[in-house]
Amino acid sequence: MRYSTFNQTNVNPLGEPMFFGNPVNVARYDQQRHSIFEKLIEKQLSFFWRPEEVDVSRDRVDFQAMTDSEKHIFISNLKYQTLLDSVQGRSPNIALLPIVSLPELETWIETWSFSETIHSRSYTHILRNLFSDPAKVFDDIVMNDQIRKRATDISKYYDDLIFYTQLWQTHGEGTVEVEGETYQVSVRDLKKKLFLCVNSVNALEAIRFYVSFACTFAFAEREIMEGNSKIIRLIARDENLHLTSTQHIINLWQYGDDDPEMKEIAEECREEALEIFTSAVEQEKGWAEYLFENGSMIGLNKDILCQYVEYIANLRMAAIGFEPQYDQTSNPLPWMNKYLVSDNVQVAPQEAEISSYLVGQIDSEVSAGDFGDFDL
Amino acid sequence: MNSKLKVKVNKSQVIEVDPGQPQTLLEALEQAGVETRYHCRSGFCGACRTTLISGEVEYINDPLAYMRPQEILPCACKAKTDLEIEH
Ligand code: FES
Ligand SMILES: [Fe+2]
Ligand SMILES: [Fe+2]
Repeated sequence: MRYSTFNQTNVNPLGEPMFFGNPVNVARYDQQRHSIFEKLIEKQLSFFWRPEEVDVSRDRVDFQAMTDSEKHIFISNLKYQTLLDSVQGRSPNIALLPIVSLPELETWIETWSFSETIHSRSYTHILRNLFSDPAKVFDDIVMNDQIRKRATDISKYYDDLIFYTQLWQTHGEGTVEVEGETYQVSVRDLKKKLFLCVNSVNALEAIRFYVSFACTFAFAEREIMEGNSKIIRLIARDENLHLTSTQHIINLWQYGDDDPEMKEIAEECREEALEIFTSAVEQEKGWAEYLFENGSMIGLNKDILCQYVEYIANLRMAAIGFEPQYDQTSNPLPWMNKYLVSDNVQVAPQEAEISSYLVGQIDSEVSAGDFGDFDL
Repeated sequence: MNSKLKVKVNKSQVIEVDPGQPQTLLEALEQAGVETRYHCRSGFCGACRTTLISGEVEYINDPLAYMRPQEILPCACKAKTDLEIEH
């Protein structure tokens, strides 16, 4: 079915499913099938922040005082987060907008993806302050094996859904031949790809950030890299909201409050969805291992971080109707919570300083040679 | 009218809450020393999701996280009647 930017058939927005119904025509919010998505839009907008509002200039001195293994932990986490937000800043739009059928959900997807672009811009803000030329850090994202491995897993479900949606939109259902390869296209199969994709995004929002978050907040507990931590708190607040949206989508499907075919698919693909989640958990534990391979940092080690991933994973799995899979039922890093409370996050104007101005100030005190021997 | 309500937690502990207080159910649990789960403390992340076995709660903040019929978000609500919960 060819996509139309303004579908002229008269559709009843209350009768449409979230996806694979009619394309949205009028962006109207007077009648909503799933009004939760408009509430999420409002919440996300109320969270709006700009990286430049957060002064990160003091982090530069802290960074130079770090051990090499701590620098490795810090920079690797930023690289990984950059990857995650690069994907999330575009993929919900590209993969989900062509197939969405409800105006409130369409706008939520755009709002969600937009907030991820703020996250991406904040990493450049952080890195510019630490390095006169952050290019090496960014360049390594596509060369680093540990990151590439995760990138494949994160993007494959999106890419698969996007490709088959394109085939469906240009050729319709049936057998399609493209560049000598034959593909079977059916809406049922597309819905299955959608289900798996949303489960993979859900796992991303649910746990993929938390190893890096824990490291950031462990630095903050030592009162270092506090500008960075302030930004990561704002990011964490957003990610928690994104997660709520993917949990809503999955649950609306599986409890039969949306497309009945999606309910069947949710049952059919339950094992596969579980597997997507548990393999993300394993990858995160692998990431903790990679971070600490050169030595650890004060307040954190690989084991406790893995326990934290399992603790978080149990909560996240229960939220989409899975039995908790891990033994870790109590929080091994209780101090994490205070950084995740949303009321504690403020970018009060009086606290915010113009960072570009301050960066100039720090520049005059510190010469590039002072951190010249740090190896990326 | 302003008498205390009883909240039975995890089949064992019973705590008392004052419905006249603005305190959330999560805060009441914490005050009583129950080990709680939470992140946002304002009803949108779902980390505090709890099973309501019996009783009724009322929401102080609009809950945005997904809840199944028998679930509540203690960070955003308080007890309206005696409760039994599994946190
Ligand atoms: S702590 Fe986030 S919903 Fe209760
Ligand atoms: Fe993000
Ligand atoms: Fe996100």
